[in-house]
Amino acid sequence: MRIGVFVCNCGTNIAGTVDTKKVAAEALGFADVVYATNYMYTCSEPGQQEIQRAIAEQGLQGVVVAACSPRMHEPTFRRAVEKAGLNRYMFEMANIREHVSWIGNDREANTSKAIDLVRMAVAKLRFNAPLFSSKMPVNKRLLVIGGGVAGIQAALDCADGGMDVVMVERQQYIGGKMAKLDKTFPTIDCSSCILGPKMVDVAQKENITLYAASEIESISGYIGNFTVEIRKKTTFVNWEACTGCGACMEKCPSKKAADYFNEGLGAARAINIPFPQAIPKKAMIDAAYCRQLNGKKCGVCAKICPVKAIDFEMKDEIVTEKVGAIIVATGYDLFDHAVYGEYGGGRYPDVISGLQYERILSASGPFGGHIRRPSDGKEPKEIVFISCVGSRDASVGRPYCSGICCMYIAKQAILTRDHLPESNSYVFYMDIRSPGKNYDEFVRRAQEEYGVQYIRGRVGKIYRRGERMVVQGADTLLGVQVEVEADLVVLATGVESSLGAGELAEKLRISYDQYGFYMESHPKLRPVETNTAGVYLAGACQGPKDIPSSVAQGSAAASKVQSLFAHDTIETNPQVALVNERNCIACGKCIQVCPFGAIQWKELRGGIKKAEVLASVCQGCGVCNATCPPKAIQLQHATDNQILAEVNELCA
Amino acid sequence: MLETDRNQLHKCVEEALPELDMMIGWTRCDPLQTTPVFIRDAKSISSLTLGPFCSQNLAGYLVKPPALDAPPKPDAKPIGICVKGCDSRSLVALIQEKFITRQRVRIFGIPCGGTVDWRKVARHVELGSVKSADVQDRVLVIEDSTTTHRIALEEVLSRKCLGCRHPNPVISDVLIGAEVSPRSTGMETSYRDVDELDAKPLEERLAFWQSELDRCIRCYACRNACPLCVCQDRCIVETREPRWLTQHVGVPEKFLFHFIHAMHLAGRCTGCGECERVCPMDIPVTLIKEKLNKIMEEMLGYSAGLDPEAVPPLLTFNPGETEI
Repeated sequence: MRIGVFVCNCGTNIAGTVDTKKVAAEALGFADVVYATNYMYTCSEPGQQEIQRAIAEQGLQGVVVAACSPRMHEPTFRRAVEKAGLNRYMFEMANIREHVSWIGNDREANTSKAIDLVRMAVAKLRFNAPLFSSKMPVNKRLLVIGGGVAGIQAALDCADGGMDVVMVERQQYIGGKMAKLDKTFPTIDCSSCILGPKMVDVAQKENITLYAASEIESISGYIGNFTVEIRKKTTFVNWEACTGCGACMEKCPSKKAADYFNEGLGAARAINIPFPQAIPKKAMIDAAYCRQLNGKKCGVCAKICPVKAIDFEMKDEIVTEKVGAIIVATGYDLFDHAVYGEYGGGRYPDVISGLQYERILSASGPFGGHIRRPSDGKEPKEIVFISCVGSRDASVGRPYCSGICCMYIAKQAILTRDHLPESNSYVFYMDIRSPGKNYDEFVRRAQEEYGVQYIRGRVGKIYRRGERMVVQGADTLLGVQVEVEADLVVLATGVESSLGAGELAEKLRISYDQYGFYMESHPKLRPVETNTAGVYLAGACQGPKDIPSSVAQGSAAASKVQSLFAHDTIETNPQVALVNERNCIACGKCIQVCPFGAIQWKELRGGIKKAEVLASVCQGCGVCNATCPPKAIQLQHATDNQILAEVNELCA
Repeated sequence: MLETDRNQLHKCVEEALPELDMMIGWTRCDPLQTTPVFIRDAKSISSLTLGPFCSQNLAGYLVKPPALDAPPKPDAKPIGICVKGCDSRSLVALIQEKFITRQRVRIFGIPCGGTVDWRKVARHVELGSVKSADVQDRVLVIEDSTTTHRIALEEVLSRKCLGCRHPNPVISDVLIGAEVSPRSTGMETSYRDVDELDAKPLEERLAFWQSELDRCIRCYACRNACPLCVCQDRCIVETREPRWLTQHVGVPEKFLFHFIHAMHLAGRCTGCGECERVCPMDIPVTLIKEKLNKIMEEMLGYSAGLDPEAVPPLLTFNPGETEI
């Protein structure tokens, strides 16, 4: 192989502490190196031309550039050598800036290290082989998992762009947590008034297929070509027939079913449509409470239903959908405040979660929008809000800030004053976090215009005194103990990852952090991508978020999908694992460890099995290569021989 | 007692043989040793033996040529195999890794009070002159041309048997004879040799391995005998693509070979000691794997070859790891 080495001065960035001339001179002595020089800015237009000129004049077959991090300019130089007629993978980069010149001032030591790195790059290049991408067709259908506001936004954006969208929602209705909210901060506009039209859009768009009361059973395939199995859960109501008239609900004799939508504050019927604006507006039977399904004589709903939609024999159904990209928007769940024994451990009916209070405030809630205590239905006079319940508290395993509670408490305090002008509201807080647009002004308004008493300090204890609750805490600004006798205590329960987030991540083969929030590909520069190609994130499944951020992420994920779907085919990255079938012993260990499901069995004649890499799914992580005992599976462009060549040079 | 067990084995194998493809067991080849035997014919059943001289781990035969040259047909009859406690763990490991299915084998489990290491016997008697050998009440009785030697069994047991925690098969279809109580129950007693070596300073350990491995002739007997070394002629110590090792004879090359072998067994090695038993140069190669087994047990609470359903920790991908 005829190799050329180009050592970049990077102005004084490299040349300041590395003798680049000497590095180039030494490089000329390495095996196969026929040309070596140093240059002021190799990445500049004339720098690249210099490489191209040398390739032509010297008949170079491989090029090493010793310069900055390959993250910076590897694509630049690959393009440059490709223009000169070389395969783009016949190029290696030695990082002598971030790894050498920027981290030490000893010119002699730096020069010597730079020479070592160039020698390693040359040794590797001698084992390089041309690699080529292939093209895979893209199925331009999108799967959105989760029908909350982030998922809805993503689905609508893509549907507006003319794409087919499949939305899967595990609840019987879409709208997610936002559908349960009364008003939204900082504008106090009605949550269902702004979300409702979007929900209706989802139902009405012809290119959106909605599976409510459904969950993801399995996912296989890869970017552009996923196959998804969806479990449609038993609703006991034929939704194609159901008109949502609600007659069944009125007549259902089982009146004490759990009211999930109202956060357990009211009671629902066993057959239920959770709220008037529900999309889809279809009834579903809660099997735990249905008399007929529990062996009692009933069947009232079946008799009353004008379209005969009730089906007690119904079973779960699995449907298969093929899609090209997946947006995960599974949202969050609320922290269960029962772990706080000092706040009553969930035993006091008048110590409630933030979302329960939302339902109390809501006109469609259990009390019709009148603020009442859950215990006796009386109007409260003194209301205490406690922030950071299950947030910023390492003792309960939730050291992170939930980001939304300071704002929703302020909103709820303002609304409380609007509903009950005679009432007094107190907020115990650690810090106030209100960094959004118009957010801090909003909190100030709560304090200054609405007279909400903000007390900086933690609450140590809540206990019962007669009909009221006593809240004992500290005011750390005044340095005194405070005791408030309250009729109602609202805990600003924090955000935690959605129930079952881990299992779904495993099906999707994406990673999640220790709290169950999905990991983005890069915390700053790839915030809605995952490390699995074709799977994107939106909303609070990635971390606590308020509505504007969730919507923004929904749109961001949608735009990623649209740019993917703008192509009919995708080019595969050839830097993936490849099986040498002669050496494969069919032990299957690579299949077991592959985090992306990119390896499968292939059957040869005579039933002999071999591992096979799906090039379009493989992310090139190399776990299979490390696991393979006979090293039959090799990562292209980082083969064992290439790495051993580098190590041998370093140790020589 | 041995006689009764042997008769029970013969009877059980006789009953089972018509349903079996073949039976793998041991047969006596000289007074102190047995050799593996492959039985298809009922007439040969009487040659089967068991007892303290049956040192070979037969599990490897199930996954090595010629057994694995072609995948078994769906209607293939199961293979009968005799296993001691340690051998049964190899079997479990092979089932875990799906090299064989549980249905493919009929397991004749044999509780084991330890196997005799002929090297240790050689310290007491001239091997060539041994006429007969038998074990009675934990005493090895050897007759040579002139005298009768009585050696306590403990003195001639294989090194691996001294810290044995699973003398009874962890998996079997038929159990031959009565279960025996384990001689070790915890990590303290199982890894005595490792601990002893670990207690020495680094230089001494290095010198130890340098002098031990210097004797290695790279015959690969250790690898060939290992029931879990399933790569066989695709082993990376002999391939050029990729080329991990050269054919140089220095200690570093031998070191690399033995450590590749050990790393490939990390979390898989059941400590059956075959590698050490077959070493013609008497190198304690199992020690390296014992050290790894100890780490696996301490770090991950995992011992290989106990549960056919378990997944060896290094052969799985845990999504809980935060950075892929």
